Amino acid sequence: MLLIGFLLLQVVPTDPATVLAGPTATPAEVQALRESMGLDKPVWLQFVLYLGRVLQFDLGRSMISNTAVIEEIGNTIGPTIELMLASLVWAVPLGILLGTLAAVRRGQLLDRVIMAFSVAGVSMPIFWFGLILIQYVGTALELLPFQGRGGPLWSLDGLRHIVLPAVTLGGVFVGPVARMTRTALLDVLGADYVRTARAKGVAEGSVVMHHALRNAMIPIVTLVGLQIGFLLGGAVVTETMFAWPGVGRMAVGAITSADFPLAQGAILILAVSFIAINILVDVLYAMLDPRIARR
Amino acid sequence: MTAIAEAAVAPAVTRGPRANSPWRRLLRDKPAVLAAAFLLLVVAAAILAPWIAPTDPYANNMRLRLKPPGGDFLLGTDSQGRSMITRMLFGLRATLVIGLTAVAMGGFVGATLGILAAFYRRLDNVIMRVVDVLLSFPSILFGLALAAVLGPGLDSLVAALSVAAVPTVARISRGAATQVMQQDFMEAGRAIGLSDFALITRYLARNCISTVLVYLTLQLGQTILLGAALSFLGLGAQPPAAELGSMAAEGRRYLSFAPHAATVPSAAIFLIVLAFNVLGDALRDAFDPKLRH
Repeated sequence: MLLIGFLLLQVVPTDPATVLAGPTATPAEVQALRESMGLDKPVWLQFVLYLGRVLQFDLGRSMISNTAVIEEIGNTIGPTIELMLASLVWAVPLGILLGTLAAVRRGQLLDRVIMAFSVAGVSMPIFWFGLILIQYVGTALELLPFQGRGGPLWSLDGLRHIVLPAVTLGGVFVGPVARMTRTALLDVLGADYVRTARAKGVAEGSVVMHHALRNAMIPIVTLVGLQIGFLLGGAVVTETMFAWPGVGRMAVGAITSADFPLAQGAILILAVSFIAINILVDVLYAMLDPRIARR
Repeated sequence: MTAIAEAAVAPAVTRGPRANSPWRRLLRDKPAVLAAAFLLLVVAAAILAPWIAPTDPYANNMRLRLKPPGGDFLLGTDSQGRSMITRMLFGLRATLVIGLTAVAMGGFVGATLGILAAFYRRLDNVIMRVVDVLLSFPSILFGLALAAVLGPGLDSLVAALSVAAVPTVARISRGAATQVMQQDFMEAGRAIGLSDFALITRYLARNCISTVLVYLTLQLGQTILLGAALSFLGLGAQPPAAELGSMAAEGRRYLSFAPHAATVPSAAIFLIVLAFNVLGDALRDAFDPKLRH
């Protein structure tokens, strides 16, 4: 990913020095700038220097605002994490609940309705779901704001602003979680220890909650973790739609305005945070499955 | 990425003992038949767009801008006064061509990788390790990165969608090919002295192709959805091109007083992806009974 990010700056048809120097600069000024930016050095040396700068958290400066890229990322990463957490916190429990209901009522009407909703949810373009919310809740009823972030989450305005983006982003996540929960639970419900629990007269609700769901949590967490990338993708769209000041919106803005250092930095940080989330899921996995932790 | 997770999550359906042929099983699945019929209609409309569209998709008329559906324009007009139904027919065309191209390219590369991994055990580890890394990576990041490198446009969009399709298809075809490898005819083919190339193309690939094609149906839905999202962000098809995702993005600006401009293309994407998902699920259930619960 580092290499891709670096190559990004290499293949751009425009010369960064010419752009930065502006249209009125003389060739000599452009040349001086090029030297100060290290652009006259061979490509491999530039990559080594780039790696060194990345390790020192120096990601260059935005070509448009001239602020340090690392600073821009520092300002936007918080809102992105905030939005993703606000989406997960309601979507995962709801998905697990719906999946459990579907598995317990397998083959019945409730199961079919939940699964139909789930397929529809998987097929829904996230931007349409967001547009519907903006159109009805935001514009027509004027219930909630849909532009930007209202401040910290503990303030009323902050809470009001995050509702629609979080409902949008979480909304597309409920269906997949429900499907996975249903499958994982159906697998477990056929296991011997579930039959044993039933045979010794444990109440059905307790069998599902304590014996089946607890064991099904392991595959559920893994599958939900694998879907985090999907959530990150959704966050890019959601942030752009709701003018949420996060990394995804910044990345899209930087790409469409050809601000290469900023785009490079934003893509890098999205990739790094994705890897970080995966490590986090692995840790969580070990906590849920004592067999792994002991190994 | 979602396709593979869902692959294991087929809705449980129990059928009678007489339903032994996959096609017969498929025909009994009413939602699947409906989805297939709908998709045929969509494909026909997309192919015939230049002939059946009532107006020119690029001829604008500012006096007719943002007319609501009904009257002269069945689905209303967009911000440039262009007929929405015409734009949608051409948009279907663009969206389907983008999706099919990407799935065909990604599917070919993915299937080749998967089959090679199953045939040459030594390659298996290397190929599948790379595939796993690709698989876990958010596909929208490919879209962002390629749009940044190549500049936003159709080339980078199709390239990103193809790359995104490779890992899922590689996994599926490796699974299918591994099973075929255990068949006696593979051993027999080797015994009569066929070359590796002949073994792979004549025996192995031919016996995996149906499984792979079934999954490509599911993948097509995902690819179209991702492509529409990237175009919506302005990283795919560029205006004034008629493409469903970018049409939705354009219509979004007039949401408060002309909601149809964004709703019509968005709903079209939803219905197409839904149909592909329903049909793909049903095809998988019918042809791959091992995965059914």
